[in-house]
Amino acid sequence: MRERKGELFLIAGFTGLVTTLFLAFNWVPSVNINAFESPEAQRIFYWHVPAAWAAFISFSVLFAGSAMWLFKRNELGWKLHIAGSEAGLACGLIAVWSGCIWGAAEWGTPWDWQDYRLNSFALLTLLALFLVLGRRSQPDGVESRDTFATFGFYGFVLVPFTYLVTRIWVIRHPGPIIAGDDASSISLEMRLAFYVGVISFTLMVIGHIITSVQITRFEQRINRLQGIIDGE
Amino acid sequence: MAEPVLELSNVTVRRGMGVVLRNFSLTVNAGECVVLYGENGVGKSTVIETAARLLPLEEGAVKHNGRLVYDAEGRSVNPVNPFGLTLQANCLVPSQTIQQQLDNVVAVCGKSCDFNSVLEQYNIGNRRNDKIAHLSGGQQRKVAVICGLIPGMVSHESRLILLDEPDSGLDDASVEVLIEQIHQLRNLGHGIVIASHDKRMRECATSLHNLSVVSQQEPKHSKSWEVSATEKSYPLLRTKIGWNLNLTTLVSVQRNWLAALLVMGCLLSIADPLGLSENKMILMGFTLAPAFTMGLVGDPVFKILMEQRSVDWWRAQSNTIPNSYLESIISGIIFTAIAMQIFIQSTDYRVILIGGFVTLITSFIVRFLQMSTVRLPRNNAVFIRLLTPVLILPWGLVVDYCASL
Repeated sequence: MRERKGELFLIAGFTGLVTTLFLAFNWVPSVNINAFESPEAQRIFYWHVPAAWAAFISFSVLFAGSAMWLFKRNELGWKLHIAGSEAGLACGLIAVWSGCIWGAAEWGTPWDWQDYRLNSFALLTLLALFLVLGRRSQPDGVESRDTFATFGFYGFVLVPFTYLVTRIWVIRHPGPIIAGDDASSISLEMRLAFYVGVISFTLMVIGHIITSVQITRFEQRINRLQGIIDGE
Repeated sequence: MAEPVLELSNVTVRRGMGVVLRNFSLTVNAGECVVLYGENGVGKSTVIETAARLLPLEEGAVKHNGRLVYDAEGRSVNPVNPFGLTLQANCLVPSQTIQQQLDNVVAVCGKSCDFNSVLEQYNIGNRRNDKIAHLSGGQQRKVAVICGLIPGMVSHESRLILLDEPDSGLDDASVEVLIEQIHQLRNLGHGIVIASHDKRMRECATSLHNLSVVSQQEPKHSKSWEVSATEKSYPLLRTKIGWNLNLTTLVSVQRNWLAALLVMGCLLSIADPLGLSENKMILMGFTLAPAFTMGLVGDPVFKILMEQRSVDWWRAQSNTIPNSYLESIISGIIFTAIAMQIFIQSTDYRVILIGGFVTLITSFIVRFLQMSTVRLPRNNAVFIRLLTPVLILPWGLVVDYCASL
């Protein structure tokens, strides 16, 4: 059962994600039609924001793992680096992609290259993509681990920047709603669906991290055995 | 007592997933020649590259001429004295001639000297004005070995010389010339470390080291090397070398200029500037796009230095390597001026100057990103350019500012 813990989290997370979709499209009331250009598109919010939240958790894991590898040469740190970058990429892509759809409907354009929030979040996702693809392009070794961990460590500076940037400059992306000053404008049903989404994405990320750490451990064990067979 | 020119103090170095050197120490004094030998994978090249500051240390420190050059804490200081370095890769720039390559090494040493007789000894005197790319593998190796010996050949003061498999690919006559020159340079007071499988090279040694056992031996008596170099200062050396590399190879024309021309062509093919005269923001974006594109293509000199690991030779000598900053700013200015004439039909010197800086700063950031992955075993395969979209936002802000001028 202990070895299946990751899968259990993943199943719970995916079930929650499907439930969130169902609630968002069938149960949550529509928003004020005067406040939005495309009120129905606002339902993407129940996936978009929880995905961004889960991406931030993943990037925090990436940061912690990178620091553990860089400063302590900790093997678990490297496994967390791998898991954090993969989960960050998945959640980041969901947030960016859903944001583009919402933006196309609401603003009339899927992207604004002059909006700080959009750009900094996209950069975080690109950083995760770079770490995932870059790692696969290199043989495993201290040189590649150090290089990618350095990017993962310093790239974390974008997380607080991305979170805080809409509190300073609101260009196109709106400021915080749930944790912001307008929290009272959201109904109970909306809050409930939103929190189901947040919990589901969080469970999914936890499940992915546990599973990824296990897979990396198996890969390393196979490599060690391969080395023994090769007489190294 | 002779002063140490190289001290490796309890260094631990990892390569791949293994620890190659663990608490390894080595001291080489002036007038000594240490020959490292042993089977493949024992760590000979790792010792040479560690001494040359190319590998990060897990533990320990490295000193040249008694001064710390780098350590496990991350401190890294340029060596006060240039040192000789020949790695397994030749570290040459194939588009340069032999003469240009030697001139660069001599300039790094702050000297002026003619190497005709040395080239003659290695039987490549008649090829001095040929491009390195046109030489055979063995001839290229001869040039690489001479480059490694030059810091010792031009200096009376003790210098460190590091040679990794210098005999590899050399004919018998050249190996004999090399052995004799090593004797002469050691007699002059230089400290030399050689990694080699060739038993003939052990003749040079005052110490034979297989990375666990050291044995002393009496080297052959020989005369000292006669130094004929004169002092010369080379201000802005790395910028000048970068400029010369650009001129001789025209690499910036084929990479950066071509990209800028293509972007201008694409923009002209989709939009008529006269029809957009009301939209100053878009026209300004079109005007600054070629300058931005040239920067995104990256520093052309860096691309040249990546051939044959030449960048490692420069990284070993100094924390700064040749650059094309001057060429970047000039190219940016030229292409912004042309684009301004095409798209806006006017001239604003402020915008043209800003275009130059857009190319310079963009190129600098791209180069910084590339440099940060230079240690990777397959650094050409890494997806570092995925991070360059970060530059679009600042470029957009610059366009916005220029449109308001």
